Amino acid sequence: MRLADLFDFAWQVLRSSISRTLLILLAMGIGVAAVVVVTSLGEGARLYVANQFGSLGTNLIIVLPGRSETSGGMPGVLIGKTPRNLTLEDALALKRSHAIRRFAPLIIGAGDVRAGALSRETPVLGSTAELMDIRHMEMAQGSFLPPGDPRHSQPVCVIGAKVANELFGSRPALGEWVRIGDRRFRVIGILAAQGQSLGFNTDEIVIVPLAAAQALFNTESLFRILVEAKSREQIAAAKADVEEIVRLRHEGERDVTVITQDAVLATFDRILRALTLTVASIAAISLAVAGILIMNVMLIAVTQRRREIGLLKALGATGHQIQLAFFTEALLLALGGAVAGLAVGELGRSFAVQMYPAIPFQAPWWALAAAPATALLTAVLFTVAPARRAARLDPVQALSRR
Amino acid sequence: MIRLSGIARTFLVGGEEVHALRAVDLGIAHGEYLSIMGPSGSGKSTLLNIIGLLDRPDTGTYELDAKNVTALSDDELARVRREKIGFVFQFFHLVPRLTAAQNIELPMVLAGIDPAARRPRLARLLAEYGLEERAGHRPDQLSGGQCQRVAIARAMSMGPTVILADEPTGNLDRHTGQEVLGVLERVHHNGGTVVVVTHDPEIGARSQRRLRMLDGAVVADEKG
Ligand SMILES: Nc1ncnc2c1ncn2[C@@H]1O[C@H](COP(=O)(O)OP(=O)(O)OP(=O)(O)O)[C@@H](O)[C@H]1O
Ligand SMILES: [Mg+2]
Repeated sequence: MRLADLFDFAWQVLRSSISRTLLILLAMGIGVAAVVVVTSLGEGARLYVANQFGSLGTNLIIVLPGRSETSGGMPGVLIGKTPRNLTLEDALALKRSHAIRRFAPLIIGAGDVRAGALSRETPVLGSTAELMDIRHMEMAQGSFLPPGDPRHSQPVCVIGAKVANELFGSRPALGEWVRIGDRRFRVIGILAAQGQSLGFNTDEIVIVPLAAAQALFNTESLFRILVEAKSREQIAAAKADVEEIVRLRHEGERDVTVITQDAVLATFDRILRALTLTVASIAAISLAVAGILIMNVMLIAVTQRRREIGLLKALGATGHQIQLAFFTEALLLALGGAVAGLAVGELGRSFAVQMYPAIPFQAPWWALAAAPATALLTAVLFTVAPARRAARLDPVQALSRR
Repeated sequence: MIRLSGIARTFLVGGEEVHALRAVDLGIAHGEYLSIMGPSGSGKSTLLNIIGLLDRPDTGTYELDAKNVTALSDDELARVRREKIGFVFQFFHLVPRLTAAQNIELPMVLAGIDPAARRPRLARLLAEYGLEERAGHRPDQLSGGQCQRVAIARAMSMGPTVILADEPTGNLDRHTGQEVLGVLERVHHNGGTVVVVTHDPEIGARSQRRLRMLDGAVVADEKG
């Protein structure tokens, strides 16, 4: 039998039982569309998180006090030493590393910020001029904290867009004085509106020089040190340098945690990928269900078309040809279902994009390949049994009226 | 052309052996027109199915065109059937979703013949069996006589060695039956070999050679 004739024959069968065909197409289509939509959502979330991390800074290394690892060796704790604080001196010592481009020590507290009669409770960040470049911040007006020795401070501050709006309304804020706690700061810059980035809204903060924050919150210890490596390749070296420099300063104790942005991102990436894969597999189960539907329908077809199968054999069809006819039918169904499913999935994806334009929903290539492939594979697999049954049918019995 | 020797076929029905054929010897020459008659259950259909390679004998040998076909594999049998055997059934057995033309074409399609080569053969068959106007009709739009003509055209489409018809008029009224018989006789006059199983003595009488079966054995073989 020629290939074109085989397809033609299967096509005639599908056309002659339209409702049965549509039902299977529906089941297959839903399965494929589910995989496409679900993976689009998962991949969208993954890309979204990756973008968010990217906006935090490049080649970023974060140093925080305390050892977060639970691995056995913490003799300091065992013999009763309290872990050391991370200090500005620790941060300044990082200048020795050649792998580090810049760093910004960070103190965070909450402060009551007043301008005239208005007041607002906001997070207050103490840092240095380098923070702006490390965190990719942009100014709407004025300038960021002035560079200089972080041990001394000027009474200036930079405020977020929303804070400016709430405290000053439409009045110009630049050059005005605000009061935080019992200290006065002149507003020298307003941050450009950036919005939320990983749970931290730069629109709602006030940034003051590090020394001012130390005085304000009456603390010497840093909340974090943000470090930017010179390049992607230097991240590992920078991390080792940070650990070594701080260890030497802390009498040999490894009592800080150093996180690279890469590692965090990789972790998120892994988690979200695994999640996407899991949900996609669950969606793929519906493909298996569609496969079982195909098997059921084919088994019924073998019974219904007993006489036809007997006839084909009497006309000289081999068992192989009969099987091929059934496989072609199943393949056409799966193919149609896959195409319909991909189309519907794409529709669902663009709908999601309309709803949440910020998230880059897009089905990953492997899902776009795997969903139709799974549809075809299940269709073929589940047709094996019915096709063999048809091929083994005894033509004499099939043709007799008994 | 067809040579059966010692062909036996036994069925097991509920633990009991039913001897559908007991040691049948039969030779059929090229161009013969042969009828097989006999009471119900005498083994006529079983014999026809074995000649048509749809069924295998339990013992005996079968030579078709001087070739022993007793021990061929299922696939080989299918190929021989495709090339050399044309079946006509009592209940027509047309594929309901296919048109008359597509039904006639089916054996050529199964044989993998090129559409370009199929077309003239199909046109010739449609003309020969007076089905040109019905070519695009489906079986449910055809009369019984027309259905059987389609079936005969289909049986002839591969130019078979022998046409095997099992009660081809059994499902038709008298007049249409005569007409279909006329078609089969024309196949014979054009040099074809035809074997007809029938219950109708009149039809039997019109054939050139008459076989009588009883209880799985050929009990009479008259010529002329
Ligand atoms: N597949 C089968 N299984 C069991 N017994 C069978 C089978 N086919 C035929 N037989 C038996 O073999 C015997 C011969 O059957 P066959 O169909 O050849 O008779 P027949 O002469 O064609 O009868 P009819 O004129 O009624 O068609 C019968 O007794 C029948 O019951
Ligand atoms: Mg019979």
